[in-house]
Amino acid sequence: MQSLSALDPWPDSFQWRPVSSRLIAAELTERAIWLVVLLGGSAIAWLFTQSWWAVAVGAAVLVLNIIGAIFGTLAVRSYGYAERDRDLLVRHGRMIRRLSIVPYARMQFVDVTAGPLERMFNIATVRLHTAAAASDAFIPGLRPDEATRLRDRLAALGEDRGEGL
Amino acid sequence: MTQENGHALITRQRLHPLSPVLKGLRLFVLAVVAMSWRSLQQLHFWTWLAVVAGLFVILLIYSTIAWRFTGYEVIGRELRIYEGLISRRVRTVPLERLQAIEVMQPFQAKPFGLAELKLDVAGAQRSEAPLAFLPMPEALALRSQLLALSGGHSTAVVEEETEHELRRVDNNAVVFSQLLTPPVMFTPIAVLYIASQLVFNEDRGFFTIAAMISAFVATIGAPVMRTLNFWDFRLARSADGKLRIRHGLLNSRSQVVPVHRIQSLTLTWPLLWRAKAWLRVTLAVAGQTSVASEGGKAETDRLLPVATLEEARAVMPYVMPGVDPANLPMTPVPRRVRWLAPLRARVLAAGLHDEVFGAVDGFATRTLTIVPYGRIQSVRLTQGPWQRRLGVATVHADVAGSTPVSAAHRPVEEARAWARDLAARSHAARAAALTPPTTGGH
Repeated sequence: MQSLSALDPWPDSFQWRPVSSRLIAAELTERAIWLVVLLGGSAIAWLFTQSWWAVAVGAAVLVLNIIGAIFGTLAVRSYGYAERDRDLLVRHGRMIRRLSIVPYARMQFVDVTAGPLERMFNIATVRLHTAAAASDAFIPGLRPDEATRLRDRLAALGEDRGEGL
Repeated sequence: MTQENGHALITRQRLHPLSPVLKGLRLFVLAVVAMSWRSLQQLHFWTWLAVVAGLFVILLIYSTIAWRFTGYEVIGRELRIYEGLISRRVRTVPLERLQAIEVMQPFQAKPFGLAELKLDVAGAQRSEAPLAFLPMPEALALRSQLLALSGGHSTAVVEEETEHELRRVDNNAVVFSQLLTPPVMFTPIAVLYIASQLVFNEDRGFFTIAAMISAFVATIGAPVMRTLNFWDFRLARSADGKLRIRHGLLNSRSQVVPVHRIQSLTLTWPLLWRAKAWLRVTLAVAGQTSVASEGGKAETDRLLPVATLEEARAVMPYVMPGVDPANLPMTPVPRRVRWLAPLRARVLAAGLHDEVFGAVDGFATRTLTIVPYGRIQSVRLTQGPWQRRLGVATVHADVAGSTPVSAAHRPVEEARAWARDLAARSHAARAAALTPPTTGGH
């Protein structure tokens, strides 16, 4: 945990909230689906060509996917967000660490999305947009009630500033 | 802000009857050229003329019908633009989100004294499709009306505006600065290549020569277009503090930017301009297209297309008061950063001024980007694996309508302190801008 808060500008002044661990399940499922498709592809290729390249590709896909799954799980654990008085903090990433500070007053709109896999695992993604294209704070893996609560709170906090930019 | 719905401030007006003709003119010329290219040999001249005339009549009929549906009006705090013949559209532009307006007079509209209005609207991906065409005086009047309405005035009446000129860019400097660009520098090589091809290559077919010429035009086209675009560049300040930027030889452009709508400023020192100590100053306005994404389109983000540092400093009081680009409190990055960015390590610098955040980057083409605290949208910290090893991190201040101002490779402690400071200062600047309800900014 110490390493995760290395970028934290206000250390120990608030609690980071983690995202739901169902996000790990969702990501692993997605990865497994891709793995089955790709392994199936190389198996078919091997059946038709008897080429050892197909086996090598299949093995590489398997190894890369296992490594990816480990890092993906760690990356999900690195997600965190915190609602402060005036701004929302979102952090993620373990290899490349990112921390966004988005003032509520700068929010243009808030999106809540849930893809088919996310719906299956009953989670949703909240994404914040400001007028700057570069600043997108993005929190995946929220329970629907938490996503709705966050959206409503963000919308209410951002509402009192209607003036252009 | 009270909504005066349904109250028409400017009743519905039609665009100039020639608008569809002028809009279709380019397509018409292209069609005629394409047709002539293929068939002038086969067709009789009179047949060709008849076909061209027929096309022109079709264009005229289309224009007449299309014109009847075009128009614009201002209701409440919205500008509504009506257009389209086949699929009719009503576009609604909320005036509060209006950032800047450009009056542009394209080459073909000049003889008729017509101009088009381009609106930069926050949140739009690109400039809203323009209001084209209006007679020049009407376009200028509509622009001041719209800007007055977007600035919070409740009536569309504006007083006569006086202005004083801040800077007139020397055309010789524009030409010379555009000669000092990579495409032009490579032109001698291209010319040499073409000449050698002509001398040694036996196949002097029409297409070989045409291909060479078009390649030549493509290399030299961008600098020539820029020279024409920045011709007669004038920067002025109107009595109420708005910036007026005028330029262009073939297409005359005149842009009005309220100073408080400027999101960030960039000073760029290209490598080839170093000998002359020249730089260019560009400004970012929310809703304006970034030049890079549009490639060949005209660049309308220039505050000064070419200037010396002294000249740039001279206009700063009217653009970002209290900010002197030569005197920002910049601190360099630690020496260990040279392992990550060997060339840039000695260039990289950034600092927090009283009112702005600035960062210098770029080894060959040096840039200084400045954003006022009040314009920062969000603050980000990023740290890659190598940065972590060296104990540095990058601070980004995100800006609407432009790339973020990034202070790369700052020591972690400093980066965290800056993130705290930037968040606090941008909040303070926003609060200060909101408390006096009359005018935001200076």
